[in-house]
Amino acid sequence: MSASTTALGIVALVIACAAGVGLLAVRRMRMTPEQYIVGGRSFGSLLLWFLMAGEIYTSFTFLGAAGWAYGKGAPAFYILCYGPVAYALSYFIAPLIWRAGKDRGFLTGADFFESQYGSKRLGSLVALVGVIFLIPYVTLQLSGLQILLSIAGYGTIDARLAVGFAFALITAFVFVAGLRGTAWASVVKDALVLGAVIVAGLIIPAHFYHSPAAVISGVLARRPQWFVLAPGFAPSGVAWFVSTVVLSALGFYMWPQSFAAVFSAKSGDALRRNAVFLPFYQLMLLLVYFAGFTALLVVPGLKNPDESFLVVLQRFYPPWVLGLIAGAGYLAALVPVTAQLLAAASLVTKNLLGGLREASTSAQTAWTRWVVAIVASLALGFWLLRPPTLVELLLLGYNGVTQFFPGVIFALTWRRASAAGVGGGILAGIATLIVAAVKGGASSIAGINTGLIALAVNATLCVVLSLIRPARARAAKEVAPAG
Amino acid sequence: MRRTLRTLLSCTPPLMLTLAIPFANRVEPRMFGLPFLLAWIVAWILLTPACYWLVYRSEDRG
Repeated sequence: MSASTTALGIVALVIACAAGVGLLAVRRMRMTPEQYIVGGRSFGSLLLWFLMAGEIYTSFTFLGAAGWAYGKGAPAFYILCYGPVAYALSYFIAPLIWRAGKDRGFLTGADFFESQYGSKRLGSLVALVGVIFLIPYVTLQLSGLQILLSIAGYGTIDARLAVGFAFALITAFVFVAGLRGTAWASVVKDALVLGAVIVAGLIIPAHFYHSPAAVISGVLARRPQWFVLAPGFAPSGVAWFVSTVVLSALGFYMWPQSFAAVFSAKSGDALRRNAVFLPFYQLMLLLVYFAGFTALLVVPGLKNPDESFLVVLQRFYPPWVLGLIAGAGYLAALVPVTAQLLAAASLVTKNLLGGLREASTSAQTAWTRWVVAIVASLALGFWLLRPPTLVELLLLGYNGVTQFFPGVIFALTWRRASAAGVGGGILAGIATLIVAAVKGGASSIAGINTGLIALAVNATLCVVLSLIRPARARAAKEVAPAG
Repeated sequence: MRRTLRTLLSCTPPLMLTLAIPFANRVEPRMFGLPFLLAWIVAWILLTPACYWLVYRSEDRG
């Protein structure tokens, strides 16, 4: 059997196993929209942990973390930093969002805005912005899949065709299984990913250099500045690092699929416990950095840094090891993509095609399913067209969804905040991002993360507009703390 | 008193991973073989759950 058959065969086995577990979890279950989109609001802290970890730590996180460790050094550590900060914030905010969602039956983040500010138009705006920014994110996962499948195929297969096929499988899975199936597939994913990062981050460094510490010394000997940030406001310097950590932490739970994950919790308490323990997952990233640093010493000078540790595996390890790790990587794309497609589809059916509210529950689920297929085709088409500025688009996406943050915080804390203020703020924030991107400052302006600057514009405008035209005794009210 | 402690426990980890970073931006002294900046971040990743577990325990849920 050739190396590529072995490796790809194992990838296929891994996929079948995870999809099997996911489908088993939803067999003979009646799929109301609530069950399909937010798992019937029944996930305890353990299943929630797997789902959130599955959404957050995507194949691109792993490939990108290793790639940045390989190609940039210390700036890569920002990925390590923002997680715990985001979890700390979510400890206080997520239970409040959950409570509102539970009391008023929200299925999407846009529902939250619509109900809190009493404005359908604001809900539609949030839904539209969310869907637009999700598509590049899904597309990015496809690029991750392409790297995985082309390396596991040892250059013998057409990677585009393989990605198309792999993506069709993912779409079919989410069509049937919904959020609960995704959460269970995530359990399989995490077990495998844990194995994969242990191989990548401990066994590989040990194989070449005896210990991770020796790898660090090796890198230091060649590049003494690799593990420190450039000072002050230099590109990718300290100011960029801190502002990016802050921005990423604020934006973390603003993705549409994160709202769905919050609503899927059984209780506010499950969310709090989840926030306490999620930081441990970050340690896997530390191992991924070790893999990236080792690759820097073993296979320096690669054109695409994101391939770094996979190339080490491909060159120095048997095909079955590569197959298992590529399988883990595939699942690390499957889970977030299913959650993203589901979230995008529910925004479209529930908040943009609002007329469906009169439809029966089974018709609503059917609609959501078909919209999943449509959104998936759009993302695939977008990927095939391959816009040259994909990374820019993702940056725009992350910075874009972060613009929801002021609206969420004000909904929970400030009664005067109005729909006009929040909507105007979001639009102004996004306009700032677009102008900056056109002028070549997509990622940073004067050493500060562009998203944070846009967020400041957004929040200021939101406050000013709300002071001029405050909300009429908005329902702000009901969100009582604690749960 | 208890409230102050809670506030302290919940604010410290996020501040250590953001505003304190400029002061931890160095290679030496290396800890467990890690450069200081990386070791600092890893230490706070481990301390964040510890702090928040205490915050969680101190909440009255009734």
